[in-house]
Amino acid sequence: MMLYLTTFPYQDSSCIMGKREVQIHFLTLPVLFFSVMEERKSTEETPRNNALAQRRSKSYRQSMRSCVEATHLTYTSGLLTALRIPRSRKAPKSCDITKQVDPDQVALLVKKEWQLSYVTPLYQFRHTQLKSYSKQLSAFMVSEKQQGLAIEVGQELGFKVNFSVVLGLAETDKDAETVFIQILSKQVFSAKDAAPKVVWSGWLTCVNGDLDYLRSLPLEFVSLPLFCTRGPESLTVLVKTWFEKTFDCCFGPLGINSTNLQWLASLWTGCHPTINIQYLKLVWTLPTLPPMDVTYTVHPQDAWELWDSMRQVDTTEDSISIDEVTGFIKGLQSHFFRHFRIDLSAGSLMQISTALGSSHHSGKIKIASPNYIPTILQLLTECALLKMPI
Amino acid sequence: MSLLKPFSKLPGLNTANILLVENEEQFQQKLADTVVLQEKTVNVNVRLARSLPLPMENEESRPRIDLVVFIIHLTSELSFQSAETSLKYLDPGYFQGKVCFLVTSARNVSVPPERLVSVRKLAASLHCPLLCAEDQTTEGVTTAAHRLLAILKVAAGLVPMATGLYLSTLTRCTVPSDIDQQNFE
Repeated sequence: MMLYLTTFPYQDSSCIMGKREVQIHFLTLPVLFFSVMEERKSTEETPRNNALAQRRSKSYRQSMRSCVEATHLTYTSGLLTALRIPRSRKAPKSCDITKQVDPDQVALLVKKEWQLSYVTPLYQFRHTQLKSYSKQLSAFMVSEKQQGLAIEVGQELGFKVNFSVVLGLAETDKDAETVFIQILSKQVFSAKDAAPKVVWSGWLTCVNGDLDYLRSLPLEFVSLPLFCTRGPESLTVLVKTWFEKTFDCCFGPLGINSTNLQWLASLWTGCHPTINIQYLKLVWTLPTLPPMDVTYTVHPQDAWELWDSMRQVDTTEDSISIDEVTGFIKGLQSHFFRHFRIDLSAGSLMQISTALGSSHHSGKIKIASPNYIPTILQLLTECALLKMPI
Repeated sequence: MSLLKPFSKLPGLNTANILLVENEEQFQQKLADTVVLQEKTVNVNVRLARSLPLPMENEESRPRIDLVVFIIHLTSELSFQSAETSLKYLDPGYFQGKVCFLVTSARNVSVPPERLVSVRKLAASLHCPLLCAEDQTTEGVTTAAHRLLAILKVAAGLVPMATGLYLSTLTRCTVPSDIDQQNFE
């Protein structure tokens, strides 16, 4: 069902946050099961050089606690590889990406729907050896086809693989350059001189990845955590298998959870003044019997006014915090509730789309406008790095 | 405000009463059946509610509630919010070992991790245990029922030398400061 909104007043919604406290237990004698609790407010920052010493004593206390406490989650004890879920982001600036990146290559990336996966760091991947990688991958695909394993025999004649570098997408000097892969082949019944068609394309990228993590990697590893693919699943599997064999990496599916979809919705709505988003469409799935899908389309001006009213609460211009994003979505949900008495927070957000792009919960993304590519890719790179097993 | 009070009624002999509060009303039925089937020695009464406050009409006939369990499904935001608003209708006496949080689909990939973190923070601030349960398989339901029964028997005073407050200092949820996001900038 569709709902077109005209105008509505902004409604403040505050979320309840629990108190932040750190409890430390000192056990006198384990036999007595008596614990003295000491409260400490964790407001000061732990200095980086002392953190290691602190960790050792904490782990000792943790092990003492673990023998009497039944429930506690283990936390990553690695100082360098712990990643943080970001609570605020920079506001996206419209930048003319064609200044940095070749416009033909930009055209390859936009206006297509990509399926996302994450990939662990690649061992001894050299950007200089792309030609040999192309030959190796095409030989691998031919050999797999001859084994009769992967592809239906007889449809394609031969595969030609093309590895190329897309320069200019990397934001910091720690990001590796984007690698674009294309698989071309000739159809069996095509004309003799017809050019081979692209049957599959994919790209590996890292945009503004977490600097601590990238610095902590050993030198032989190249981190390109985001892998976008488009094409038949059989070819995707073949490419992944070859990568896993050659560079000792692991692939996995990357879904975009509801928080990140909300981030994308807010970031795209925030771009409305500079480029007309034309609509803001959100799709929820409600767990009713039978499951109900709700498509909620908002007029762009109303969406922008709501977003702008959330933004006025914040003083800094440049960064957007998660509270504004949740407030924005809550405003939309409460308006829907007032009209239909259906609380959308009982369901899960599946898809959002605007004229600037669309994104689905299962890991599909489509970027329609080249202006905001770096922001979107940065968000997706963060998702990939968080999802990746460290 | 009609608060649910822990000690305003007399306990029954060899009886334990548990209240399962869940907004979606799907897991509590299965859990209730399993809890009643599992326990052979003690009379267990399971009462189900969607949210607090409980209706005034049953006030007289309702027995003393020994343990209140809030079931939160992490797949929906509404579940957590409804549990939070229900907390206001509990007398503070309940938070000394008579409240427990039960969370489902914590391992689910599509659940944003921030939700589990906020549930943990809530449970830690109230000094209550947080249990994770698997509600799709029968073994998961049985395990959850078993754990709830263990806590229930202590909260109802049926285990010698152990009280709810005493057990809660051992089983309460804690949030190590590393999970607190803003600390490590």
